[in-house]
Amino acid sequence: MIRLCKIFSILIIVLCLFSGCVQVGSADDSPHIRNFFAMDTYMTVTAYGENGKAAVQAAEDRVYELDALLNAESRDSEIYSLNENGTATLSDDTASVLKSALYCCELTDGAFNPAMHPVMRLWGFTSGKYNVPSNESIKEALKLTKPSKISLKENKATINLKGTEIDLGGIAKGYTSSEIMQIFKYNKVKSGIVNLGGNVQTVGLKPDGSDWSVAIDNPDSDGSYLGVLKTHDKAVITSGGYERNFKKNGMTYHHIIDPTTGYPAENGLVSATVVAEDGALADALSTALFVMGEKKSENFWRNNKENFDFILYTEQRKIIASDGIKDSFKTELEMKVIS
Amino acid sequence: MKMNKRDFIAIAVVLVLSAAGFLFLNTKHAQGSRVVITVGGSEYGTYPLASDKVIEIKSENGSNTVAIENGSVYMKDADCPDRYCVKQGRITDSGDSVICLPHKLVVEVCASDGENTIDAVAK
Repeated sequence: MIRLCKIFSILIIVLCLFSGCVQVGSADDSPHIRNFFAMDTYMTVTAYGENGKAAVQAAEDRVYELDALLNAESRDSEIYSLNENGTATLSDDTASVLKSALYCCELTDGAFNPAMHPVMRLWGFTSGKYNVPSNESIKEALKLTKPSKISLKENKATINLKGTEIDLGGIAKGYTSSEIMQIFKYNKVKSGIVNLGGNVQTVGLKPDGSDWSVAIDNPDSDGSYLGVLKTHDKAVITSGGYERNFKKNGMTYHHIIDPTTGYPAENGLVSATVVAEDGALADALSTALFVMGEKKSENFWRNNKENFDFILYTEQRKIIASDGIKDSFKTELEMKVIS
Repeated sequence: MKMNKRDFIAIAVVLVLSAAGFLFLNTKHAQGSRVVITVGGSEYGTYPLASDKVIEIKSENGSNTVAIENGSVYMKDADCPDRYCVKQGRITDSGDSVICLPHKLVVEVCASDGENTIDAVAK
């Protein structure tokens, strides 16, 4: 009888150990999830804990609010009216995104350029009616993409060269995910993750106290990943020519236009991922690194390494990662670490 | 507490059994994944990833054909203008999704309960 008791208690202890039922956690760790379509993409917003429900609802409302302000293609947006009239007094949100965009443009020496709208339209990336423009028309349109022609004083924005147009598409989603993190924190959500059409940002750790696992898509192979990044309190944003493109006469043209040439950027990269605390910065820099290519990206990171880390996937099918995330990024591909 | 040889054997047996059970639970997870299809935010249906199936979805936005094949799922056909959903190819892991934006249709692989997997895919 005593032996039976002994065996039974050992059994219970062992079962607990293996099944992980000895777990410390708050009473309500359940996820609150909202899925919706906005900013021309599909979004999933998840917050854990008792305040999660209110937080994800507030997040969704915030996304619609920002979408309405920032979408250059929508006639009711502030950006549309600025492009149309050449001047506008912007809301704090729009002014703040434009300020970030101009800052990132300067930081990246124009590799990220928020004034590419005239060229994007020429290629049909703004309407979905794709076509390959002539050399001459691209040259003409490039004259209208100078960020120096945009001025922002407090909330008053002015375009000083007629025909120049602003497009915040390369930074709006990153700004939005950062704003959602603020909403989560305001609602005392300790654990949350958003996925805005492949732009991922996290607040805190997972409810079980571990890091979030964010996989980086492998565009070469269906359903597989370049690797998995363990992360917390960071935005993880990837840009690549595989996301949006069209084929014409056997050529593939993608949507990340090199601001210096007016043609799709071809600088040896398949994708560029940026990991940073600031979503807007991560969004803009992922585009910028894709445009810069391997060598320029490495040098750029060395000068700004306190602000972000990166994972590049090259056309030679190699991974190049910065020193700050080499231990948290697991990949089966060949990886070179930059320090 | 005094322990004899038979106690040790009993402990060993319990340990081996629970380890085996643990391994079994962990390996069978992949089989338990589900495919969840939503249209315009509301759930259209849930299907096991393990059994092959072709699902035709007709909504006011248009029609899509989703195929589950050999433990993966993909958009087989769609009458949307850009057909990006068809080009997205196959997905297998939970947390990953194929999305048809014009039709507001989402095909997502979801983990069975307790499966330890990725939380999001950056793309």
